[in-house]
Amino acid sequence: MSEIKLENVSYVYSEDTPYEKRALTDVTATIKSGAITGIIGHTGSGKSTLVQMLNGLTRPMSGRVLLDGKDIWEDPKKISDVRFRVGLVMQYPEYQLFDETIRADIAFGPKNMGLDKEEIERRVLEAADFAGVDREWLDKSPFDLSGGQKRRAAIAGIIAMRPEILVLDEPAAGLDPAGRKNIMEGLCAYRDKTGSSVVIVSHSMEDMAQYCDDIIVISDGRVIAQGKKEEVFSQSDLLRSVGLDIPQITLVMRLLADNGINVNTGVYTVEDAVNEIYKLI
Amino acid sequence: MKNIALGQYYPTGSVIHRADPRMKLILAVLFIVCTFLCKNIYSFGAILLASVLLVLVSRIPLKTVLRSIRALLFIMIFTLVINVFMTKGEVLLFEWKFIHIYREGIVNACFMLVRIFALIIGTSILLTYTTTPIALTDAIESLLSPLKKIKLPIHEFAMMMTIALRFIPTLMEETEKIMAAQKARGADFTNGSLIKRAKALIPILIPLFVSAFRRADELSVAMECRCYHGGEGRTSMRVLKYRASDFLLFLAFAALCAGLIALNLLKTPFAL
Ligand SMILES: Nc1ncnc2c1ncn2[C@@H]1O[C@H](COP(=O)(O)OP(=O)(O)OP(=O)(O)O)[C@@H](O)[C@H]1O
Ligand SMILES: [Mg+2]
Repeated sequence: MSEIKLENVSYVYSEDTPYEKRALTDVTATIKSGAITGIIGHTGSGKSTLVQMLNGLTRPMSGRVLLDGKDIWEDPKKISDVRFRVGLVMQYPEYQLFDETIRADIAFGPKNMGLDKEEIERRVLEAADFAGVDREWLDKSPFDLSGGQKRRAAIAGIIAMRPEILVLDEPAAGLDPAGRKNIMEGLCAYRDKTGSSVVIVSHSMEDMAQYCDDIIVISDGRVIAQGKKEEVFSQSDLLRSVGLDIPQITLVMRLLADNGINVNTGVYTVEDAVNEIYKLI
Repeated sequence: MKNIALGQYYPTGSVIHRADPRMKLILAVLFIVCTFLCKNIYSFGAILLASVLLVLVSRIPLKTVLRSIRALLFIMIFTLVINVFMTKGEVLLFEWKFIHIYREGIVNACFMLVRIFALIIGTSILLTYTTTPIALTDAIESLLSPLKKIKLPIHEFAMMMTIALRFIPTLMEETEKIMAAQKARGADFTNGSLIKRAKALIPILIPLFVSAFRRADELSVAMECRCYHGGEGRTSMRVLKYRASDFLLFLAFAALCAGLIALNLLKTPFAL
């Protein structure tokens, strides 16, 4: 499907004022086609700024954003085409619902794409399934749903555009464990069914380790590591130095190995760890 | 966005920044009066000098100050043209068909320019660049507090101002976020007919109002929880206090005033 490349992208907020803030410095990164890519970094490291580059919501001050090798800012008038191809769910999207019913709200994107009625209806139902939106909620007003339910509806609103690259800024923040799992699995299902790439920003190393293929680590607006999750999580000292950590279960395995027990340390889920430990017995 | 949060506040830590906001408010009024006191080339020269001095003392970069002047460029040019062509005087410099330009016209135009320039510099250096909107609200509340005696709700008025100032940037930020989110779903706010663009605003206004009401609700609950009950007997975290340097500043301005009146007495053909 599609691949995004960032080439030496920089961004500064409030340039030329006393409040100037460098948010991104010379970022070069690749989002591989068909992969689930995780972006991690501590608070204020520039993750949200970075993902807003991917669909052209913010324009880099220098550097280029390439979608399938083509600069997305080559023709700024056509930027909305890019936004349909790269769907972005912003941080805390539940505050952005506006229509009378959830159904109409999810249909907002497809409608802007100029699709016909049946196609829109089909996509709304499909997106609702991926995002875990109950069919019963569809005809309710957004104000009658809980925060977590609204979050799902907002995610469905982007999935309904069937983007080739689905980008989510902290989709599971503030949800209970079951809700997190449900959303993450929905995203995996979306990737598996459509072959689209998925980009997830998250603070949960556990989720990242479990669901992602690739990881990009940013700190202070710079990419300090990227690649397969195994490579990135093997650099625990680097991660610690920027205020992050490796998943707890990996840490447990690492400690076991350090104490002379022969286990595989490249383990990211509790089930895998259990299996590893069974092997010892 | 931050610009609106702090108005145009530009921190440099100068004497003027540290002065009491009430004093700055009084001085700004005094400075405005000064600009209107000027009558001849000497006093206008003095007020020009005083303005430049203010900029230097405040240590605000010239570039920033000039930006606020540029905003009023049109008014300045308009005043210039009106004065040059419309003033009748004795010394005719130029005549062509119905256009007469007198020396007095040119002189008047220059004076008016200096006056507008000094007005902008005086108010922006004394107030907008060196005082945060919140400090200004405190100052207004303090200066108007005698009016509480005749039952005017000064404290409530100041509280409303403070809350509004506090939430303007928050709402701006929210608007920006919501717009970004709807743009990500292909909303188009710039193209199309007027009706189409007005319709495109609905997806922004609804979430914005909802969140504004939610915030208002939360804020009122939070204030109740901390037993807020209006101005009676309330003290403030930021206590305003005049210091010696405030009075020195005041003396300087009073001297300027007196100086201008004295300069007005000097005889010169270049006078209003
Ligand atoms: N609109 C803005 N104006 C000025 N500065 C901003 C703005 N948005 C973000 N910043 C600054 O840019 C930096 C990066 O912000 P960003 O929102 O990308 O961080 P983040 O990694 O997403 O953080 P979080 O995990 O808290 O969401 C921060 O230091 C922030 O203060
Ligand atoms: Mg963020």
